[in-house]
Amino acid sequence: MKLMEALRLARAPADAEPFPVFLACGFTPLHLASFLAAHLRRLHPRLAPVVSVGLYGDVPGSLIRIAEQQPAAAVVLLEWADLDPRLGRRSAAGVALADLPDVLAGVQERVELLLARLGAAAERVPTALCPPTLPLPAMSAAAGWQAHGFELRMQAELAGLLATAAEMPNVRVLASRRLDRVSPPGARLDPRSEFLSDFPYRLEHASALAEQLAALLAPPPPLKGLITDLDDTLWRGLLGEVGVAGVHWNLEGHSQVHALYQQMLRRLSEAGVLLAVASKNDGELVRVALTREDLVVSDARFFPVEAHWSPKSESVARILRAWNIGADAVAFVDDSPIELAEVGEAFPDLLCLRFPTDDEGAALDLMEQLQDRFGKPTVRSEDALRAVSLRADQEFRRASTPSPSDGGDGTDTFLARADAHVVLEFSTDPTDGRALELVNKTNQFNLNGRRYTEGAWRDELTKVGSFLLTVTYQDRFGPLGKIAVLTGRCDGAEVRVTSWVMSCRAFARRIEHRCVEALFQRFATEQLVLEYAATPRNGPLREFLTPYLGDVTASECVLRRDDFDRHCPPLFHHVEVR
Amino acid sequence: MEELRERLSQCVAAVFPDLTPQEIPVASVASVSNWDSMATVTLHTLVQEEFGIEIDPDDLEQFVSYELILAYLQEAGVGR
Repeated sequence: MKLMEALRLARAPADAEPFPVFLACGFTPLHLASFLAAHLRRLHPRLAPVVSVGLYGDVPGSLIRIAEQQPAAAVVLLEWADLDPRLGRRSAAGVALADLPDVLAGVQERVELLLARLGAAAERVPTALCPPTLPLPAMSAAAGWQAHGFELRMQAELAGLLATAAEMPNVRVLASRRLDRVSPPGARLDPRSEFLSDFPYRLEHASALAEQLAALLAPPPPLKGLITDLDDTLWRGLLGEVGVAGVHWNLEGHSQVHALYQQMLRRLSEAGVLLAVASKNDGELVRVALTREDLVVSDARFFPVEAHWSPKSESVARILRAWNIGADAVAFVDDSPIELAEVGEAFPDLLCLRFPTDDEGAALDLMEQLQDRFGKPTVRSEDALRAVSLRADQEFRRASTPSPSDGGDGTDTFLARADAHVVLEFSTDPTDGRALELVNKTNQFNLNGRRYTEGAWRDELTKVGSFLLTVTYQDRFGPLGKIAVLTGRCDGAEVRVTSWVMSCRAFARRIEHRCVEALFQRFATEQLVLEYAATPRNGPLREFLTPYLGDVTASECVLRRDDFDRHCPPLFHHVEVR
Repeated sequence: MEELRERLSQCVAAVFPDLTPQEIPVASVASVSNWDSMATVTLHTLVQEEFGIEIDPDDLEQFVSYELILAYLQEAGVGR
């Protein structure tokens, strides 16, 4: 990005949501601040980033300010001079070789101080920590090609700082390996600019660094599901021609990239990404091939498996229905450009990516791209449950479909026998990452489509009278985990619901009715004010409200207790309130 | 010449977005309240980027008005 473009992009429209970011670094960040605001806006056009800058040459002092000011997010950008001023190019402090142990001791002390203050700052503020991006200045007598013990010890101190910081709940550490790729280390320093204006970066590096920091601070929502082809994608070879034993993924067959792809799929699945297969193949042959014990990703991780000769767009449509998620949250990977085009035409929002079977380098790039699109800062217990709960939901739906002999629709009887357990937990805990994740990714059962940054979420929950209700569910078909979130405020007699989402996997269990009942009971109120707003996709929420409120059109609805009592269907859950 | 003026105007507008098109050609340290040393450095960087030239730090003293920057660029042979 050019500086001109950054300056223009950084100017947000008046109606954008303020997003204060504190940038702590030892030098004068000048254009880096502009690039950071611009890249944040490019990622999230609804935000108006305002970057404020910390104390000159005093990162520990800036960390205190972050803790005091509590911006929406913070960036702590270290260069070597922040660990000891003698390591800066502008100081020229005349360090003698005999001083090196003292420098090292000073760095060790500074690392402890930084960690203590970072921990305090990050308690309330999501913080991106960036390790030095410029090289450690030559301090020893060794030639440039020799790694001196002093330099290695400095690197070890830094690595210790980063590893400890990465384990702090609200801290994310910038990956140097990615920055090295997009901004070559040898082309970062601008010594003239550093000496002239204390801005040490070339513009290209400032832009690349800001882009990575923006993604680290406010990552785009990760995709939820991946649909993969089989032949020449999950494995090498055409199953119909070479048979189950003939397809391969190994070094000997020059097909190792498929083994790495399988390994990546397994990793994604473990992190909660849904996997499915869309293959033009003989169904029985595929069923057998997927049970091969040497597959790196087991067949149990794929659901559904669509293997037949119908168009792949039909397979994708069935998979999306089974998952009950939108095409814009899914990637489709296939080696055939024709298949990708056919599916892409049917689902323009689906991310269609070609698996480059004969180009190992491009295949590795593809996997890196997929890792970025599906990556998430932390893996939660619900993530491991996702695929299991999807199958549980399928079982639930199959079992709940009435048979002709039922007479009525049989729903009440079925739900009464489902042995459903609901845990309703009231709190104001802004660190519940699963709750924020649900609010920010749920589209269908969503009161108003509101999304929150971590800072805005924290602000919402620290308002006077605020509450957060999370709902965890399981029944005899299996656990669904934490599947619903409500936030709101109780201000005297008025209880106002500001956000309400429920995972689509939890539909048809009457959990939403139980949530309303819980609010009436908890706050002993006669009515709830719901901050409803129609969105292109929140039809299921509107349908839920209709029996209680009629046709919902207003931007704010009032649900009365007597209306609720009159229309609420029978509820059969075992309830635990915490 | 017109193209040079236009491109310089874009640089000045990017640094001082509140200026009107009429105010830009007469902008200077004296007339623009937020034209401080930081703005000068940003403008200096922007002009280097826009015109693909390297400007000696000693010449920064000319970056105090639109007209002086324009004259500097003309003298440096930019846009010929």
